[in-house]
Amino acid sequence: MSSATSSWLASAVAVFAKDWRCELRSRYALHAIALFAVTTLVVASSSLGPLGADKSQAVTVLPALLWLILLFAAAAGLPRAFVHEEEAHTSAALRLAAPPSALFAGKLAYGASLLLGLEALIAPLYLALMSLDVPSPGLFAATLLAGGYGLAAGSSLIAALASQARGRSTLFSVLAFPVLLPLLLLAIELTRNAVAGQPAGVALPQLLLYDASVTVAGLMLFPFVWNP
Amino acid sequence: MNASMKRALPYALWLGMALCIWGAFFYAPLAAAFIGQSSRILFFHVPLAWTAFIAFFTAAFWSAVYLWGGRKARHDRAAAAAVELGFLFGVLATITGSLWARIMWNAFWNWDPRQTSIVLVLLFYGAYLALRSAVADREARARFSAVYALIGVVVTPFFFFIVPRITESLHPEPVINADRHLDMEARMFQVLLGSFFTYTALFLWMHNLRSRLMALAERAHAD
Amino acid sequence: MELGGLGWIFAVNLIVWTGLFVYLLRLGRRIAQLESTSGKPEENER
Repeated sequence: MSSATSSWLASAVAVFAKDWRCELRSRYALHAIALFAVTTLVVASSSLGPLGADKSQAVTVLPALLWLILLFAAAAGLPRAFVHEEEAHTSAALRLAAPPSALFAGKLAYGASLLLGLEALIAPLYLALMSLDVPSPGLFAATLLAGGYGLAAGSSLIAALASQARGRSTLFSVLAFPVLLPLLLLAIELTRNAVAGQPAGVALPQLLLYDASVTVAGLMLFPFVWNP
Repeated sequence: MNASMKRALPYALWLGMALCIWGAFFYAPLAAAFIGQSSRILFFHVPLAWTAFIAFFTAAFWSAVYLWGGRKARHDRAAAAAVELGFLFGVLATITGSLWARIMWNAFWNWDPRQTSIVLVLLFYGAYLALRSAVADREARARFSAVYALIGVVVTPFFFFIVPRITESLHPEPVINADRHLDMEARMFQVLLGSFFTYTALFLWMHNLRSRLMALAERAHAD
Repeated sequence: MELGGLGWIFAVNLIVWTGLFVYLLRLGRRIAQLESTSGKPEENER
């Protein structure tokens, strides 16, 4: 049994490594989502000004805006992980090379690392441009971590579905939004608490539960999407 | 159940619904906290919403049966029919709810917890139907729809926990949910309970018809 | 019989319901008819 597990793990890691190698060669997704996120951030900041200076605005508006930026960046960058396999006609080879759940795990890890990397870029920029203080930086970081992972997990599963359905990006957005909405609400609520200096409350375990549920659902359902 | 009992069933449903409608207007008393006759709309709105939620879980159930129970086309049709009907009932529930909200709180929409939940379910339905129309191949369509329905059922429970908390923090005085405040007098409860059964029966009947119609359409296509 | 305002709404509801009901009944009959004349073996239907 453990050799099966280790080969599963090896497949997942191989997919993860392959995706990153391809990405680092072309840097398409990195550029796309970074550029997108920074542009949106600049637009928001220049039109809204240092909103963080006004405490009530800071707590109400800014957390939501941050997660909207992350949501759209995810929608811009993550579906490519599956779509480019279809475009490059490599998906048939992938079906032979790795068990479906390992493939999904590898893609998910890739998407999550991409998104977390983006957050590392955007979050400090956001705090600076909006003049936002965060009294609970630990909670803020935890939310970015758990929320970013959840965003990647939900998006990966839907991206797989949309890519197999030959859908354009509009299909991805239509399918993803209802799935990601609970995640966004939780992440926004927790970010609000971090900015207001309030405790996380029950929302943090709920967010972690969401992450776990979507991961498990993805691992179980992805094989049905991938193979007839 | 013999054939003549089966034939009588629809008429029993007609009678049941007619009784519920009569009950809503003449038998049940008015609720104390409500403006004028407006509480009567709840005898339509609540069962409609309830049925829309049932339809959601019905679709998820048949989707699971499809994926793990042999990929039979009839299970896919059962799931799709449930979603279509759920969408219809959900839209009707939303409309009746908004009309009532307008009377009670002078606003068609409040993002009150119940309203928000029904919107999420409707979004899922809409997305499911969009997915189905985007995939031409019958087998693939059934498979993808089933997966999506199951994703939906995994994700929506979170909504029911999150939403009441969030909307409370946005509205300083929480919008009072009528169901909690409803002083359930016996007659009101009777009509409501009867309506639950009747609307569920109506859903089952419509679901049966819709599934069979889909089967006929598929067969006609295949010719 | 003197119908108040409520009585009118009740009557409208009843008529709408009866209309829907008759539609569904006739749809059901039409479906049953099509099913029996389609001539195909009903292997995966109940």
